[in-house]
Amino acid sequence: MALKGLDIFKLSPKKNCKECGSPTCMAFCMKVAQGAVSLDKCPYFSADAVAQLSEATAPLMKTIEVGAGNNAHKMGGETVLFRHEKTLVNKNLFAVGLCSCMEPAEIDAKIAEMKKVDYERIGERMYVEFLFCSYAGNGVEKYVELVKKAAAADRAIVLECWDVEAARAALEVCKDLKPILDGATLENWEAMNALATEFGVTLGLYAENLSDLYDLVKKVEGAGNKNLVLDATGKTAKETLANAVLIRRTALKDGDRSFGYPAIVNLTKFARGDVRLQTAYAAMFTEKYGSIIVMSEMPYAAALPLYGLRQNIFTDPQKPMKVEAKIYPLNGADENSPCALTVDFALTYFLVSGEMERSNVPVNLIITDASGMSVLTAWAAGKLSSSSIKKTFEELDIANKIKNRTLIIPGKVAVMKGDIQEKLPDWRVVVGPLEAVQLPKYLKDKEYVGSAEELAAEAAAKEAMAAAAAAAAEEAAKPLDFEAIKLRVPAIEVVDTGVTYKGYNPESKTFVTIGERIHCISPVIRKAMAERDPAPILKRAAEQIAAGATYLDLNIGPAEKDGPELMMWAVQLLQQNFNNVPLALDTANKRAIEAGIKVYNRTHGKPIVNSADAGSRIDFINLAAANDAIVFALCSADGIAKDNEERMMHCHNMLERGLALGMASDDLWFDPLFLVVKGMQDKQMDVLQAIKMFSDEGLKSTGGLSNNSNGAPKHVRPIMDATLAAMCMMQGLTSAIVNPCDVRLMETIKSCDIFKNHVLYSDSYLEL
Amino acid sequence: MSFVPKTQAFSGKINTVTLGTGDKAVTLGGQNVLPFYTFDAPIEHAPKIGVEISDTAKEWNTPALAAFYAGCETMVDFAKKAETMPGADFLVLHFESADPNGADRSVEDCVADAKAVAEAVTMPIVIMGCKNAEKDGQLFSKISEALQGKNILVMSAREEDYKTVGASVALAYGQKVGAETADDINLAKQLNIMMKGLGVAPASIVMNIGTAAVGYGYEYVASTLDRIRAAALAQSDADLQMPIVAPTSTDTWGVKESVATIEDAPEWGDQEERAIGMEIATAAANLTGGADAVIMRHPAAIATIKQFITELV
Repeated sequence: MALKGLDIFKLSPKKNCKECGSPTCMAFCMKVAQGAVSLDKCPYFSADAVAQLSEATAPLMKTIEVGAGNNAHKMGGETVLFRHEKTLVNKNLFAVGLCSCMEPAEIDAKIAEMKKVDYERIGERMYVEFLFCSYAGNGVEKYVELVKKAAAADRAIVLECWDVEAARAALEVCKDLKPILDGATLENWEAMNALATEFGVTLGLYAENLSDLYDLVKKVEGAGNKNLVLDATGKTAKETLANAVLIRRTALKDGDRSFGYPAIVNLTKFARGDVRLQTAYAAMFTEKYGSIIVMSEMPYAAALPLYGLRQNIFTDPQKPMKVEAKIYPLNGADENSPCALTVDFALTYFLVSGEMERSNVPVNLIITDASGMSVLTAWAAGKLSSSSIKKTFEELDIANKIKNRTLIIPGKVAVMKGDIQEKLPDWRVVVGPLEAVQLPKYLKDKEYVGSAEELAAEAAAKEAMAAAAAAAAEEAAKPLDFEAIKLRVPAIEVVDTGVTYKGYNPESKTFVTIGERIHCISPVIRKAMAERDPAPILKRAAEQIAAGATYLDLNIGPAEKDGPELMMWAVQLLQQNFNNVPLALDTANKRAIEAGIKVYNRTHGKPIVNSADAGSRIDFINLAAANDAIVFALCSADGIAKDNEERMMHCHNMLERGLALGMASDDLWFDPLFLVVKGMQDKQMDVLQAIKMFSDEGLKSTGGLSNNSNGAPKHVRPIMDATLAAMCMMQGLTSAIVNPCDVRLMETIKSCDIFKNHVLYSDSYLEL
Repeated sequence: MSFVPKTQAFSGKINTVTLGTGDKAVTLGGQNVLPFYTFDAPIEHAPKIGVEISDTAKEWNTPALAAFYAGCETMVDFAKKAETMPGADFLVLHFESADPNGADRSVEDCVADAKAVAEAVTMPIVIMGCKNAEKDGQLFSKISEALQGKNILVMSAREEDYKTVGASVALAYGQKVGAETADDINLAKQLNIMMKGLGVAPASIVMNIGTAAVGYGYEYVASTLDRIRAAALAQSDADLQMPIVAPTSTDTWGVKESVATIEDAPEWGDQEERAIGMEIATAAANLTGGADAVIMRHPAAIATIKQFITELV
């Protein structure tokens, strides 16, 4: 296992002297962890620290690699007992058992049967990975014959063989396939170990009970071999479960590396011939610590449920499970069947496709890339847009594959209908139901067909739209003419709201609050933006400024169509009405941000680009650099960072990029991504620690703090938000995107600024 | 140095909840270790299996299942036959056709069925509704009233209707009630707190924490089970120590692997065997994660899971 960057950092001199060539000690340690530089580039690590590092970073459970070529597999390497604690790393593998006691014809038949199960499910090949070849003691020749057949079957191999002579003969046959030699016991281990070492293969150990197995591991390790697997198979299912659990638990919970090896469980030993019972046991050992599960056969009736379960259990809980973006013809759909579209979040796919299948109506379900987010989340994050849908249609060549021109979109994003219609003028875009359960009725009743008049009207509208789309496409290709756009922006009227923005000193250390209430997810604001109606926007701005917001966030949504114009209008509206209040420009539309900055007044601070991440939005850093703006840098790429190791890696990637583009490090505000307590309670301390790490490196930080209390009752949220704000400020958080009208939260922040000695105390500090 | 395994029995313990009366009464829960971890401490009450009998059971058409119930006409016939099924511990009457958006069978008819079954069988009875909150509310209340003294379990009280269901089923008629949530550990805890707030005794509550067939987002079920058991045992969280009943067959018999006919998917082989496989694997996963009882349908799947439990406890 690679060294953990943060573990190295703890022992580092923390001088930030740059002698190693890295900007900070943290950055250096991350590079060491990745193997990009060696530790000795830093002259200041103590000898103690160096020794400690090599010892402390050995993994508790080894990753064992077996097989060769297409049949190479990794096993073990787990760090937790339960998937929710972090993630499980290497899925269990399945084997079918063969025996030298079988007739050659039977062996051929079993191999042929085994090969029939080989299919793909959500991007993963599902097949039997191993042939488990048992030696029955009936002569070396028979065993060699068996192993020859297995070796020709294009699978990885386990040799279950306690006889040294037979094992050597079998290895001679299949040594290039890097099989597992499952054959060392307390009696024969020296010879078997020598054999495994000679052929460079993984050695499997077996003993009557765990105590003996433990002794056996010690002996073999003592002889210098740590390329091992443990055969946990007992005489009963009960004993086998005990072995598998105790082996794993001893390694991971008790920290005893002697049992830190993958386990083989051979179900044929105690559920001989009963495939149904084996299916039940295999399900259990998939969840509980079998690395190779041996079955007597693997028909579809066992494979379908077991591979489905395995795929679920070994999904990284912090990464959404995605399905492939493509056309899924349901209920025998063909090119003349209507199309329906949804996102690639696996759960959404299963719900939607399940309900559609229930309807028995042929439908082409089109899955579009949305980074594995649900429909509304993806829309709000700009991952599901008319452009992304158009891209999917082009990449999948849907127009040529399907003749029907009806496209049903999710009811939740009915607002996108117009935009999609514009991008796909040949299609008739209709809005589907809000919930998946309503789909069968919707499809059966052909609600998507609509009236004849409607169709005629739409056909007429289509032509007009095609022309508009062509014009828009031409427009999009051209560089922006800001002056021209500016002319289209309605004149700004300055009204007396009775509220004045008091100003802000960017040099001050006080906590920066960014008011979050001007957000297009609010229907009132969305309408006001569409209609260029100043009143609702000014009202919310005034409330937030009166409540003491430092910056205002200005979220105009995906704004695919008229983003630049809308942003220019909104920026001028807010700044001219409120003494040039500083703003965070929040949209996935880069041109809109650029346009907004063109008219932005910097009296009270630079504009903020909201936001960049280390994945598909990394070029928002370039946008900020080119426009001398601050940028919120989300420490995530595709989905939430799984741990602080990854958070800091993203942080440093973005920091380096910003610095290379000439930005000051102060202008990158790092967002650890606040996580919701209801769901990710056990990750809250990670977020707090990440803030501390930013702070220790002298970096600024921010984030949508109130995300923590999403879904909690209204009366509880302010308490959770205020408490978290205090904890975060203790860790060194320098700003947050908040609701400034939350009095408890704002009072907490002001009080923390007092304790942090950022503001001089006076009895009236809360009113200031 | 020899290996001495560290055992891990917890001070926290799952509540025991008894269903039914007399010789056939069953007790769920009671253990202070993770499922089947008999090496940590003995498990007093083995997990139980409930047999699902739907009021649409006559439509069950896979050969062996149909053959098992051959000649059964009424729900009473089905229930009496189910009682003879090897491995059955209790009976689950599933009133699917009460759904107002479906057959909209009347509450009176359903109550009559439940009453007739209760008079004809000796095994404990569990009631499942049609998922329509309003109809279920009436149905649960009337059945609980009609079956007073039978100590039945009613599945389920949800966030939106726990007050009416909890008050009628548990408080007015002294039956057991299932608290149903969908893969949300925080809500599962909150619902138990609210039920206790109503005055429902913890010993009258079981949980249905959400279900799925394996392969269909089952990771959420698995992790919810893991986390609930960790809270109940390691943190002694009394609001999550209720035994868990996992309806299994209702999910597994609806997925593609079970409903696709041999003509739909010739390479997959016999349809009924696939449905049995899905039911077995999902039930085994539920039990491995922490279910104290599973609700199942097919006699072959039930026989297998019974053997699975017997071998492991």
